[in-house]
Amino acid sequence: MATHVTGILDENLRNSVKSAKILVVGAGGIGCELLKNLVLTGFEDIELIDLDTIDISNLNRQFLFQKVHVGRSKSEVARESALRFNPQANIVAYHDSITKPTYGVPFFKKFTLVMNALDNRAARNHVNRMCLAAGVPLVESGTAGYLGQVTVIKKGVTECYECQPKPAQKTFPGCTIRNTPSEPIHCIVWAKHLFNQLFGEVDPDEDVSPDAADPEQVGDAGQAALEAEANDEGNVNRVSTRGWATSHNYDAKKLFGKLFYDDIMYLLSMDKLWEKRRKPTPLQWDKLPDADGVVEGEELIQDQRPWTISQCYDVFAAAVGSLYKKLQGSGEDLVWDKDDKDSMDFVTACANIRAHIFGIPQKSRFDVKSMAGNIIPAIATTNAVIAGLIVLESIKILQGRLNDCKTVYLNRRPNFKNWLLVPCVLVKPNPKCYVCSEKPEICVRLNVEKTTVRTLEERILKASLNMVAPDVEIVNNRGTILISSEEGETEENNDKLLKDFDIIDGTQLNCDDFLQNYTLTLNIIHSEKLEEGVEFEVLGNPEELKKAQEEQAKKDAESAVANNEGASVSTVMENDDLVCLDDEEPKKRKVEEESPQPAKKMRAESPDIIMI
Amino acid sequence: MSHLKMRVMDKSSEKITEDEAALYDRQIRLWGLDAQKRLRGARILVAGVCGMGAEVTKNLVLAGVKSVVLLDHRDLTQNDTFSNFLAPPDAIGQNVAMASEERAQVLNPMVDVVADPSNIEEKTEEFFKDFDVVFVSRCKREQLVKINNICRSNKILFLAGDVFGQVGYMFSDFMDHSYADEVKEKVEVPGQDQPVEETKIVRRVESFVPITQALEVDWTSPEYNKRLKRTSPSYFIMQVLMEFVSLYGRTPDPTKRDADIVELLTIKNALLDKLSIPPEKVKNDFAEFVFGQLSPVCAILGGVTAQEIIKAVSQKDAPLKNFFFFNTVEGVGIVESIGV
Repeated sequence: MATHVTGILDENLRNSVKSAKILVVGAGGIGCELLKNLVLTGFEDIELIDLDTIDISNLNRQFLFQKVHVGRSKSEVARESALRFNPQANIVAYHDSITKPTYGVPFFKKFTLVMNALDNRAARNHVNRMCLAAGVPLVESGTAGYLGQVTVIKKGVTECYECQPKPAQKTFPGCTIRNTPSEPIHCIVWAKHLFNQLFGEVDPDEDVSPDAADPEQVGDAGQAALEAEANDEGNVNRVSTRGWATSHNYDAKKLFGKLFYDDIMYLLSMDKLWEKRRKPTPLQWDKLPDADGVVEGEELIQDQRPWTISQCYDVFAAAVGSLYKKLQGSGEDLVWDKDDKDSMDFVTACANIRAHIFGIPQKSRFDVKSMAGNIIPAIATTNAVIAGLIVLESIKILQGRLNDCKTVYLNRRPNFKNWLLVPCVLVKPNPKCYVCSEKPEICVRLNVEKTTVRTLEERILKASLNMVAPDVEIVNNRGTILISSEEGETEENNDKLLKDFDIIDGTQLNCDDFLQNYTLTLNIIHSEKLEEGVEFEVLGNPEELKKAQEEQAKKDAESAVANNEGASVSTVMENDDLVCLDDEEPKKRKVEEESPQPAKKMRAESPDIIMI
Repeated sequence: MSHLKMRVMDKSSEKITEDEAALYDRQIRLWGLDAQKRLRGARILVAGVCGMGAEVTKNLVLAGVKSVVLLDHRDLTQNDTFSNFLAPPDAIGQNVAMASEERAQVLNPMVDVVADPSNIEEKTEEFFKDFDVVFVSRCKREQLVKINNICRSNKILFLAGDVFGQVGYMFSDFMDHSYADEVKEKVEVPGQDQPVEETKIVRRVESFVPITQALEVDWTSPEYNKRLKRTSPSYFIMQVLMEFVSLYGRTPDPTKRDADIVELLTIKNALLDKLSIPPEKVKNDFAEFVFGQLSPVCAILGGVTAQEIIKAVSQKDAPLKNFFFFNTVEGVGIVESIGV
């Protein structure tokens, strides 16, 4: 409401603040702080959208919510609370997902400015595209622990959110997970996969049984018997984990025996694996080790106290029992949720039993939850600072001072210039960006003889390239429609292979997302040499790709080191908003005064930049 | 040590309950259980319930300190409601501390929030002894000096800060402050080709100075003369405003804008002259931007200040020593060590 009184903000700005129509996407940690700042500064026409409801763990920072509000819509409660700061403001709250078709380009065009207060990459990508399509400036932001970042995105003027590739999620080779775990995280990933195999949506990439096709093991003549058992996918031909569990009525003792004794014995038989490794120790449920090396943590909260192996077994048995009941009761696959007691208990117990077997340090339920749930710690102070910066950047945009806008970083410690809040000039758009360039193009390497249309749609276009409802046409004389966003129109294509549509190496697909007003030319690169378990690789813009390939060829020639890491990869987290939490002292943070294009360099150099 | 302090010390060593663990989950994952235990023993005084005071209060109440006392004798004005979100806009004319109490309490029922409508100038040394941290805002310079000294002699962490329009500062005096710092080291591990990065905890001590010493440095001395070019103008703007507040007993008033701008510039010229600093070190347009308190600037200063308090109370991480400045014109949040 600073605009009510002359003298705080200048006259022109007062008017533009008052009349600006703002969309705030997200009513969480940043969103609550932002909404407060907006109504106090005098923004009076605000729409707020969030699909989430309030949880107890939000209350340490999302200060517009209280315990009585747990379970209610975040956007609605945030609206009620913020109106008490400025009853004259007009706030519209949507309890909804911003990716719904309801919020198309015309919806975005209503706004003077869009402010993101999001916590995941998929939604950020989507809002980025919507703002590009609608020509509305976007203020983007993110926080993780003590670190935060704000930036401004304007089509044609600045980089868009997708101009630079984001670091890939950390993945682990399949045989590390299935055969030779060496770190707690390997056991946790395995336990999450096991959950899905037993109770959730079965994913063939998440197999938890021993992998007889382990490159370290394969080629050993003495193991001919084992190999004979393996099918061409490398997996040992036998009943699926789900099938096995069902046929044994999810009996906890029998499951334990299979997972932690039989399978481990099987792994032991692959003796090449253990030539340079500590052998795993199979466990039997009725011969569990004594509580050795486990200290009772009197001072700790319950979740931080370590469990003995027999405690793990008890928790495992109880969790299997109630998860099986839930599975039977609902008749639908369960979805793993870090906040569901049984799901979390199951993963903690299984991960720790497996860790014990492999001589890996065990982790408390508290720590397992962090890793398995990809929890990014969050505090009020960081969000408050970032939300303040969002409004200050927004004010510059309203004043028409886009040239003065900055990417601002909140550091954990002052940099070499003693700056804690570090502004950097905005970077120009990447002319090869597969989202905001004039003619977006990208290359995808896949095997046209193995890839289905469904995989193209679900895994490549939606999950990887973040389209919402793509229409895909083959660029040929006939203009064959491969995928239609209209329900039912191309369903019969789903299980067909790309080669069935004469798609070969070099074929171009015209992919169009009507909602995002986004058209992408997808160049197919056929390859039969994809690593096992990898269905496709997104390779970037054709020109950039060429350059990268030349460099790679040089590198390969220089070092012909055999890489037997091999095999399929497992994604650690299902959330894709993985943020670098490394808050190591920035090495060389270049700021505007020193370099004409600093921000770009910074990203490459500084380990502690948050990729929002 | 007072009886109250003893009781609190005992409480801070008690176990964190499961309720607290659930509420504070996301921050315990960041700063750990020990820091949380120390926080919940901390008694905080927020003197000057303005926009920045409200932000500091919100952040500390959410973080789960033991108690917060809101101290302010002034009545809520319309201008206050543009930044102090703890006071309802319909409470204009009522005491600002009292008006802010309820909303501050609602933020976290586990924290004791108490309002005190008395004037800080009437408070004796005894009053301050019941706090572990004192944050002072909207206060004359002589008061800052006096309270800082009281805090020093009673081993109380002292912070001052304020936001004037689009400019803000924070000052801290943690005396000889001992804290645990994380250091990353490359360690050679037998059997591994490459050194492994390990995080080590080291104990460090940082020495602070009282505010008089930080405000009265000799800018003609070789050391500070050399530093002048790199020193943020915000440091001098802060001094001009402290002087203004001391002279008029109020901050610049938007309704007296033109007259106050003239007065601010007069103070600036006199101050810089006295310090033998060229007048162009502080551009005259600063006086345009120091009216009221802009909410986003309060959020930035209040966020940084509360985080410094959290760090200091939990004795974790290197503190910012000893000033932090932010203004919207430069857009930089800068740490200055002056007088130390």
